[in-house]
Amino acid sequence: MATIDNNLVNGLAALVLLAAFALVASQRMQTIVRVFALQSLALGLLAACVAYITGYSHIYIVAALTIVLKALLIPRILTYVMQRIQVTKEVEPSVNTPSSLLIAGALAVVAYYVTEPLIMVGTSITKNVLALSLAVLLIGLFVMITRRKAITQVIGLLVMENGLFMAAISITYGMPLIVELGIFFDVLVAVLIMGVFVFRIKGTFETLDTSFLRRLRD
Amino acid sequence: MIEVLVLIPVLTAVACYFLNRRHWIELASTLGAGLLMAASVAISYQVFTSGPIQEGIFYLDQLSAYMLMLVAFVDFLVAIYSVGYMGKEYEEKLFGLGRLRAFYSLLQVLVFTMVLVVCSNNLGIMWIAIEGTTLASAFLVGFYNTENSLEATWKYIIICSVGITLALLGTILAYASLVVLVPGESGGALDWTTLVQAAQLKQLDPTILRISFILVLVGYGTKVGLAPMHTWLPDAHSQAPTPISAMLSGVLLNCAMYGILRFHIITSAQIGPGFSGTLLLLFGVLSLAVAATFIILAKDYKRLLAYSSIEHMGIVSLGFGIGGFFGIFGALLQMLNHAVTKSLLFFGSGQVLLKYKTKDMSEVSGMAKVMPVTATLFLAGALAITGCPPFSIFLSEFTILYGGLTTDHLLVSALYLFFLAVIFAAFMYHVGKMVFGTPSQPLPRGEVSRICVSVMIVLVVLTVVLGVFIPTFLNDALTQIVHLFSGGAA
Repeated sequence: MATIDNNLVNGLAALVLLAAFALVASQRMQTIVRVFALQSLALGLLAACVAYITGYSHIYIVAALTIVLKALLIPRILTYVMQRIQVTKEVEPSVNTPSSLLIAGALAVVAYYVTEPLIMVGTSITKNVLALSLAVLLIGLFVMITRRKAITQVIGLLVMENGLFMAAISITYGMPLIVELGIFFDVLVAVLIMGVFVFRIKGTFETLDTSFLRRLRD
Repeated sequence: MIEVLVLIPVLTAVACYFLNRRHWIELASTLGAGLLMAASVAISYQVFTSGPIQEGIFYLDQLSAYMLMLVAFVDFLVAIYSVGYMGKEYEEKLFGLGRLRAFYSLLQVLVFTMVLVVCSNNLGIMWIAIEGTTLASAFLVGFYNTENSLEATWKYIIICSVGITLALLGTILAYASLVVLVPGESGGALDWTTLVQAAQLKQLDPTILRISFILVLVGYGTKVGLAPMHTWLPDAHSQAPTPISAMLSGVLLNCAMYGILRFHIITSAQIGPGFSGTLLLLFGVLSLAVAATFIILAKDYKRLLAYSSIEHMGIVSLGFGIGGFFGIFGALLQMLNHAVTKSLLFFGSGQVLLKYKTKDMSEVSGMAKVMPVTATLFLAGALAITGCPPFSIFLSEFTILYGGLTTDHLLVSALYLFFLAVIFAAFMYHVGKMVFGTPSQPLPRGEVSRICVSVMIVLVVLTVVLGVFIPTFLNDALTQIVHLFSGGAA
């Protein structure tokens, strides 16, 4: 029974990583937001699985919050912002899609390599998940760096945060509830504030391309 | 008691938001800041005389009490200075009453998050609070809503959020390093007190702890402005309204440094101060080098001051990295001295900005003729920040140097002296051109605001006094804090 549960956790974690790859491959803004929502859904289900296996009931709350906030509310906010400022539909990556995918693959390998010493001491149900989480985190960072629109940078940050959450749930079975709640609150506020500034950037620079933000330098 | 302390800035923020007369808002903000100051003094006194206080999720030891005093003190000064500075800009119709109200309440929200950083025992809550400081100050950095301030804010939020995400991973790993080895104990494992006790008993997993410290150092180091993660700092500090620049440079950087120190203490208790100390040294020297280069090249005086903040955070990190009694003592003292002196300089730069209406150094000259009092205070501040005697920074920088030489960090000490010399020369060159010479434009003679000038006078007096002698109570307090660090007792 336990092995089936473990396979389920590992499978969901792999799904989260797969979503990160799909995000890198996406050509359209709307797809990116949908893929992110899907990734958060997988993450929420993973949290629910861990809660079921370990019997820690507070992880159920975390799972529910992940699904409500990251899979439903935040994608809604992002879609709303994109419709209001009439963002162009293409992603406009500064590194083309095939190379991006190759780099993302390389990052996943790096993540496995780096976490090897940690996996030795890891707990039983979630050994591989740490490597997957780190891979998701690195791919999120990569998306932030290579996608020029302000909105894609926000999504990259959120993907990083998803990777982080997966690590938190897998290595430590989640943190104390008050901390988890605080982190959710911070993420939500951060997205709202960034949303406001996306509006302002569009209003002031007439574009969302952050490569225009090059005035302040020495 | 600590709950009351944390509530004061919240209530002040609410009060500022709901009042609708300029003078009432200013009064509320100043009173709130004064009250926070008084409460901090009372509570810190208790900590220094009868030991750490623990209440629920809060924990206040000597280090946090010291940081709390710094936050409250600079907050109080900034609140008074803002009355003069923001008042003047309000009279010039740069913004309306609504924005003024938003400014004062966000300032207090920022103070609230900083107080929470230093008071929380739980490292997760500390992380939340540090992310909170970024969010609270985002609108303050972008207060003027111009193209430049917008760019600065975007970089600030994005770079700091990424950095802090890494710090959260570090925090989780620190938690894991205990939970993994001692199964079943997960309740208080994110509490600093639990972690440090476990570290003293060598119960943490050393490999995980090392990786955790690296992540925390890079993550919070972004917020401290350590090179090479400093790129947001000159933009944000130069575009923010002047009182906020002082707040960011003077105490927010210190708060982030405090986050690193908490992990430094845990890591050195478990595996000795060598590992984390060396990393701190490395980032410290790198920051000094980067700051020296950009101080030479600076064209904008607020950016000049921002790079000088990177320099001083580098020095603080270097002091803790050197370790030993004198290294740590010097670094702690440097945190206080930098907060005092950098606030003084930013306050001065605000007066220059109000008078000359430009941040470009090539368009500012002859300050001594246009506003003699401000010019004198600004020059004194510049001498102080570059480490001239008899000002206080000389004393702390010298203590760190002494610490470096007595612990055989010869190469580091040599580099440290070299960069200080370069920075001194470059800084004086820039400030000399601003203060002396004939005014670049025909400006009416006179100081801009009496309130602002009085605040600056208080700060100059303080930096001279602290440069001449260290009061016994401060000496005792710092010695107590040094003993919290392992290797500091010797």
